[in-house]
Amino acid sequence: MRQLRITVDQDKCVGSTTCLHTARATFALDQSGKSSVVNPQGDGEATVIEAAESCPVGAITVEDAETGESVFP
Amino acid sequence: MPVHDNLSAPEVIANPYPYFHQLREEDPVHWNEWWGGWVLTRHDDVQASFQDRRLSADRMSPFLKGLAKEASGDLHPSFRLFAKWMVFTDPPVHTRLRMLVNKAFTPRRVEGLRTRIQAVVDEMLDRLMPAGRMELIHDFAYLLPVTVIAELLGVPATDHENIKNWSDEITLFIFGAIGVPDRRQRAQRAMSELAGYLQAIITERRDAPQDDLISALIAAQEQDDALSDEEIVATCSLVLFGGHETTTNLISSSTHALLRNPAQMEKLRNDPTLIGTAVEEFLRYDGPSKAMVRIGGEDFELRGKPIKKGQRLLLLQSAANHDPERFDNPDDLDVTRAPNPHVAFGYGIHFCLGAPLARIETAVTINTLLRRLPNLRLDVDPGQLEWQPQIVSRALKALPVAF
Repeated sequence: MRQLRITVDQDKCVGSTTCLHTARATFALDQSGKSSVVNPQGDGEATVIEAAESCPVGAITVEDAETGESVFP
Repeated sequence: MPVHDNLSAPEVIANPYPYFHQLREEDPVHWNEWWGGWVLTRHDDVQASFQDRRLSADRMSPFLKGLAKEASGDLHPSFRLFAKWMVFTDPPVHTRLRMLVNKAFTPRRVEGLRTRIQAVVDEMLDRLMPAGRMELIHDFAYLLPVTVIAELLGVPATDHENIKNWSDEITLFIFGAIGVPDRRQRAQRAMSELAGYLQAIITERRDAPQDDLISALIAAQEQDDALSDEEIVATCSLVLFGGHETTTNLISSSTHALLRNPAQMEKLRNDPTLIGTAVEEFLRYDGPSKAMVRIGGEDFELRGKPIKKGQRLLLLQSAANHDPERFDNPDDLDVTRAPNPHVAFGYGIHFCLGAPLARIETAVTINTLLRRLPNLRLDVDPGQLEWQPQIVSRALKALPVAF
């Protein structure tokens, strides 16, 4: 399984928590009430992409950690 | 102390921002005797309160209990559907409904509607342009959101007149219309009719599913029997209502903001790529949701004020969006403003589900108006414009324009 680089844009995040309800092992809310990545390998790639897609403000980007190729959006 | 507590005073309805500034400066967590609850006006307090687990979004159940007593049990079951609207629920009920409906409204899904939205706007303008003038809200602004949401949900767009009428009646209750004593009865009747209408469509879709949100909810119900028929009807009615009242108001307030700020209008007309930041600024500057209500779930202190369990809090988004500690020149419209951390869509788990759709509908509409109507102007003295006398919603009654 390839390694992913998952980024949550902190300026865009509104703490809706749709990502952490989708990919529970990958995302968590931090002290400031925004989502952050706690374990990039926490869920499978399909689940991570579904979580990124679920974000109402498009704050999550996913890329291949090795090649830098965009996986989402 | 503030001069008065009357949130529906004519000058506050016409232009709430000076009053909100005064409140924020003098008493940012203010006990409002007239409204019977706490009024929050600072950006940091409002944003934090949207995420505060000591506060509940369920302001409908206590209200219905009180109403049931008052009406001695004579409460139509359709009225209880309001309590099942996810905006009035807390986790875990909220989470389940939200995640199901969220799929239909992601930025990627609504981007797929852009061509259709553009076509609807262009068709309406083709029809309206020969007249040279229109009342922007009723002739134009309300038709786009109701058409799009009806198609997305899977109800016939030809029924939009009925949907608008039911929504307007429900608005009286949900947005707390002032001076309409029978607003509860009217909302109850409308909700009852809307529920019957939706139930008939749900029954049809059960036999013949289509590629729409109603069919998706039925499919989810069949996989997870925890979703009741009542929840499906409630959720569909919420999506219909939420899908157009506020977007209509955003389109009219955005147009109004530009008409009152001609230099900003020219800037956007000359560079339509600014529409992304412009829409965020319309939301911040004079957005359609003035406030959200929360209920204290326990006793706690906020800025030294004792919030008690069961008390109401009015989270004034419009006041937060004009907080000078968060925004430079907060009362100026700047279509290039960035970053723009407004709370017009709320914040946290109840962040507006339809935000991606509202953003794209407003962006397409405003850019099309500016491109196709180079002489767009107000067709009435600005002093004659009136807003709906509502505490939580900001809505122009009419916006006559010429072009």
